Amino acid sequence: MTSEYSMQVLAQLLVSGIAVGMIYGVIAFGYQLTFATSKTLNFGQGEALMLGSLVGLSVVTITGYWIMLPIVLAFGMIQGAVVERLGVRQAIKTKSEAGWIMATIALGIIFKNLAENIWGRDALKFPSPLPEAPLSFMGVNVLPMEVVIVFGALAMMLLVEVFNRRSIYGKAVVATANDRDAAGLMGINTSLVITFSYALSSMTAAFAGVLVAPVTLTGASMGGALGLKAFAVAIIGGLSSGMGVVVGGLILGITETLTGYYLSTGYKDVPGLVLLLLVLSLKPSGLFGSATIKKV
Amino acid sequence: MLKVENLVAGYGKVQVLQDVSLEVPQGSLVTLIGSNGAGKTTTLRAVCGMIAAQSGRIMLDGAEITGLAPHQITRRGLAHSPEGRRVFPTLPVADNLLLGAFTRVTGSRPKGDVARDLDRMYAMFPRLAERRAQLAGTLSGGEQQMLAMARALMLAPLVLLLDEPSMGLAPRLVEEVFSIIARLKAERVTMLLVEQFAAAALDVADFGYVLENGRVTASGPAAALKNDPAVRAAYLGTAH
Ligand SMILES: Nc1ncnc2c1ncn2[C@@H]1O[C@H](COP(=O)(O)OP(=O)(O)O)[C@@H](O)[C@H]1O
Ligand SMILES: [Mg+2]
Repeated sequence: MTSEYSMQVLAQLLVSGIAVGMIYGVIAFGYQLTFATSKTLNFGQGEALMLGSLVGLSVVTITGYWIMLPIVLAFGMIQGAVVERLGVRQAIKTKSEAGWIMATIALGIIFKNLAENIWGRDALKFPSPLPEAPLSFMGVNVLPMEVVIVFGALAMMLLVEVFNRRSIYGKAVVATANDRDAAGLMGINTSLVITFSYALSSMTAAFAGVLVAPVTLTGASMGGALGLKAFAVAIIGGLSSGMGVVVGGLILGITETLTGYYLSTGYKDVPGLVLLLLVLSLKPSGLFGSATIKKV
Repeated sequence: MLKVENLVAGYGKVQVLQDVSLEVPQGSLVTLIGSNGAGKTTTLRAVCGMIAAQSGRIMLDGAEITGLAPHQITRRGLAHSPEGRRVFPTLPVADNLLLGAFTRVTGSRPKGDVARDLDRMYAMFPRLAERRAQLAGTLSGGEQQMLAMARALMLAPLVLLLDEPSMGLAPRLVEEVFSIIARLKAERVTMLLVEQFAAAALDVADFGYVLENGRVTASGPAAALKNDPAVRAAYLGTAH
């Protein structure tokens, strides 16, 4: 094995790690959105991703890829709003700490069962909008879809940031995150803002679902592991720091692929979880964050 | 313009306001004074919908607002500069002010000229103009108080509630706050001012109410209250 060859392998692993990491990052970004406005999270975030991906699979055969995208985004928004209304709103109103955790986990399980009944239990192939032959850069193979994942995820997060900073409604979201009572005094319907943040959060997850599906296959059980790992990324990156999740996602994605290759695929999930445990014990607010998950 | 009738309210099972009635006529400045813990803040919270009234009625501009949510009451034209300022720390000064006009920008209040009102606020509070791009969380306490008042004014409200705008400020800034209140009064902004500085509040107000243990125990034209022996002994004798 020449050293040039091993450098190529390393570069190859980095590319795959970055693509996976961006997916984790964008799902984790979704956790941040609801945490900011309501200090609650959707533990069925992985199922939101899975549903987005499967709905996309059904729609894509009818409409083609590009029309499928806005339909999936709209579906994600509705799904997120439903989760908030059914699972979270009452818990926030009664200040129940455990209520929203149980409710969002339960809804996630229901969505998974629903998906198993509609689409079956098998992994399904998702048509790729781009050629599936890899492009070669200096001997490193990059799937066109991996490039789309990286830029698509970044674009999604950037759009939400621009919305929050520039539009009056985005500012209302930030105000609600800052101080919910004071936002109400501005005439902002903060319950609606929280519903909206759930809608946005599931929308980003659904988008991540259709981005990743052509590379990984899709299916009713695809959400669980992704949702959990993205949760780890949200903790690592910090639930309150905007771009921390991108760094956290990349750290996790890259360590996973490196471990999978150099150690054993059997240990692929270990380094990320070790990292999570380390962060939780050394800096519970996340590497970049300032708020802990505990309600303040 | 604002009328509170036999208001009973509190927190959970704790009843703080026993029976509060007061009235703020259009264009007037009414002050609500009372010692710490009397229920002044609780009264304002009940008026703006942050806490529910257990009984009684609250009328704004002839229509009942009892039981409405805070955002609905704001959309009826009631602005509140709350205790503790409660500015939005991660947003710049300019965005804090713009959010004061959220209902106007988004169409639930008459729009008017938001840009002109922003300029008026910057003219009235020059320090905010200098710091318009600065995050509100980095302002000094006095500047945050100015911002909270200016943000409430951006609603172009029918009634403005001010909860202890002088709290925690250096004497020079307290004077500045009261001179701004006097100026707003001259512009005939309808205000309900809650204050612990009873003397200063009665000096600037048209009418006053004294709150004790959740009940109104005295009321009258501000000048008359100021000369009331009981009020003098309780609130002015030892006042700052
Ligand atoms: N959030 C709260 N929960 C429970 N009790 C409160 C709360 N806020 C104030 N109180 C109680 O209500 C009473 C009146 O308080 P407040 O209205 O803040 O008085 P003031 O503004 O006149 O100083 C006090 O006894 C206070 O302890
Ligand atoms: Mg008070």
